Amino acid sequence: MLKIAHTICPSCSVGCGVNLIIKNQEAVGTYPYKRHPINQGKNCKKGRDSFHLLNENRLKTPLIKKGGLEQVSWEEALDTASSQMKSYTPNEIGIITSGNCTNQEYETLKKIAESLGVENIGYNAGAFPSFDFETATLDEVENSSTILILGDVLKENPLLGRRVILAHEKGAKIISVDLVQKTLTGINSDEYIQIGSMSEFSEIGKTILPKLNESSTVLIENLEPIEEFENILKIFQESDAKILPVMEECNSRGAMNHLPALSKNDLKELLEKVKLLYVVGDDPASYQIESLKNLNFIITEGCFVNETALMSDVVLPGSCWAEKSGSFTSTTGETQNISKIVEAPGDARDDVSIMIELAEKIGLEL
Amino acid sequence: MYKMEPQFLLAKAKDEEIATKGECGGAVSALFKYLLDQELVDGVLTLTRGDDVYDGIPTLLETSDDIIETCGSLHCAPTMFGDLISKQLADMRLAVSVKPCDAMAIKELEKRHQIDSDTIYKVGLNCGGTVMPITARKMIEMFYDVDPKEVVAEEIDKGKFIIELSDGTHKAVEIDELEEKGFGRRGNCQRCELKIPRNADLACGNWGAESGWTFIEVVTEKGKELVENARKNGYIVVKTPSDKAIAIREKIEGVMIKLARKFQDKYLEENYPAQDNWDEYWNRCIKCYACRDVCPLCFCKECDLEKEFYADENEIAPDPLTFQGVRLSHMSFSCVNCGQCEDVCPMEIPLARIYHRMQKKYRDETGFIAGVSEELPPLYSPEKG
Repeated sequence: MLKIAHTICPSCSVGCGVNLIIKNQEAVGTYPYKRHPINQGKNCKKGRDSFHLLNENRLKTPLIKKGGLEQVSWEEALDTASSQMKSYTPNEIGIITSGNCTNQEYETLKKIAESLGVENIGYNAGAFPSFDFETATLDEVENSSTILILGDVLKENPLLGRRVILAHEKGAKIISVDLVQKTLTGINSDEYIQIGSMSEFSEIGKTILPKLNESSTVLIENLEPIEEFENILKIFQESDAKILPVMEECNSRGAMNHLPALSKNDLKELLEKVKLLYVVGDDPASYQIESLKNLNFIITEGCFVNETALMSDVVLPGSCWAEKSGSFTSTTGETQNISKIVEAPGDARDDVSIMIELAEKIGLEL
Repeated sequence: MYKMEPQFLLAKAKDEEIATKGECGGAVSALFKYLLDQELVDGVLTLTRGDDVYDGIPTLLETSDDIIETCGSLHCAPTMFGDLISKQLADMRLAVSVKPCDAMAIKELEKRHQIDSDTIYKVGLNCGGTVMPITARKMIEMFYDVDPKEVVAEEIDKGKFIIELSDGTHKAVEIDELEEKGFGRRGNCQRCELKIPRNADLACGNWGAESGWTFIEVVTEKGKELVENARKNGYIVVKTPSDKAIAIREKIEGVMIKLARKFQDKYLEENYPAQDNWDEYWNRCIKCYACRDVCPLCFCKECDLEKEFYADENEIAPDPLTFQGVRLSHMSFSCVNCGQCEDVCPMEIPLARIYHRMQKKYRDETGFIAGVSEELPPLYSPEKG
């Protein structure tokens, strides 16, 4: 009747452990997971509230648009989705996802795209383009002599912020930079620099550069636009400092390892190019509603009722993180397994199984 | 024929498997088995080992078949059962294995009508303190020169933290040495004076006990009946401890309390953070409410801390007067020094130090000991609850 089970927090990319309290098969709370090396039982409010995700605003049955969205059987939903996908050329099909899915889901999606010959595929990358360098570990952050922070890490990613606090207690110098007058990270830094725009940061970066050495880390949390990343990277790669981009979603780094990173512009282009869109675990209506309206057919696979699901032609209800097994890769590049703890609600199914069944119906060999 | 007269007794499980697998003859496991078998409780809340020896997970057992899984000591599991019971298991007849801090929290919750004392059996476990799991792993690497993965069991005995490796060998390091270097038991446990939970129905442990037996101090009538009936029904065997055993136990307790007072002086007075340090600590606060939410004693449905008039619109960190100050004024008298608030604070604010210090001063003035005294704190606000 009561069970306490380990999982990984789905709220951000730090990869904290959290225990779920399960009562009568339902997640009713969280409990500190002190054995977890990343956060030792400490969680931010988002992390402690993460269990609500399982119980609120869920898609529970397959839906097809027949005038309005109507409940249908899985058979009918998958038949419709697959026959539509078969009726378009690979160039006319787009597949987009977010950083909230499991690595196994990205692998399966990638296979589907390859098998179909679809090249318009990627994940909503937010602030970070794809990168390929060795990032700082959390222990390296904690043992730094100097930490340069772009953004409000203490507020946005408190359990990474904790490592900054611990480093500070051990004597590290903390320099932080942001766009606003005052930030939590700023008031806890030795030096806070307010900038007017990200492009100014490149200039400031050059003056900070001499202070950085191999025991320094640079945390990049807030970055707009995505193009700035390359500039900033160039500056700091000249130093020996370790860099840690703080990605947005719990498995953004995993998504990056499997699929192309799509910036806002890339996403817009993709949506304008294709006729059929297969969305997995993302909500493009929240950032590109106009482009979505011009699509011929939208298939949404996900666990939440969102704007995109509501304007879709077929909705395939998937599983939320604690309802499936797989893995997430944290922003420091550490891959951690998650296990199924509770059943998905209603007729919702495991996402990899949905993808495989859809692929089979299309006639693909994965 | 044995009589239930003495306050102290030695007990062990009659069941061979439980007696071998359980700690000190498995008396506690046998008592739980008796309660479940006789349907005197609906469930037993206890700790089970998770992924490894550093991972203790609160587990609810509803049949006695699973009792054997809960056997063995777990010193690296600083868990708290108080609010787990009041928030999730209040509708059950329950038996629970409690460390002194669990028992203190439960006691305060009973006084506040959040736990019904009639429906709960509190089987206390003597406790010298717990170690944070990640701290334990680090210190095993540093002081024992052992890969923490190799450790299959641990115990605390005669002032040493002892580990057993997969090849059967043991290694021990003095806890004093570990703690001097900032490892060892949690700060709260170092300062804790309640080593034998006489605020539970029974207080069980190995202090003074001969090998293969559990030393039990019977505290309440309920505890007395439980032991008596478990014996009558063939779940445990009991005998009277020698005067020497009683004296040894008393001596161990005395030494530990003395040490705890030394740590109280050290951490609550001599090395207590200065005002400047506190300013720095409060500056970090992200107002995540983790301290409040984990506090076993905070149970108000509507919390003053969330009242609008206390919050400043543009605040970056909350005003310590209206945030920590308000919480402190509500809770510090009742603080049982369980240390959960400090354990879960993402910003490493040493909250328990200030709470423990306040409760200690309050206790010195009023005689009220949180978690132990029968009444509510004298200044307990009727508004709360």
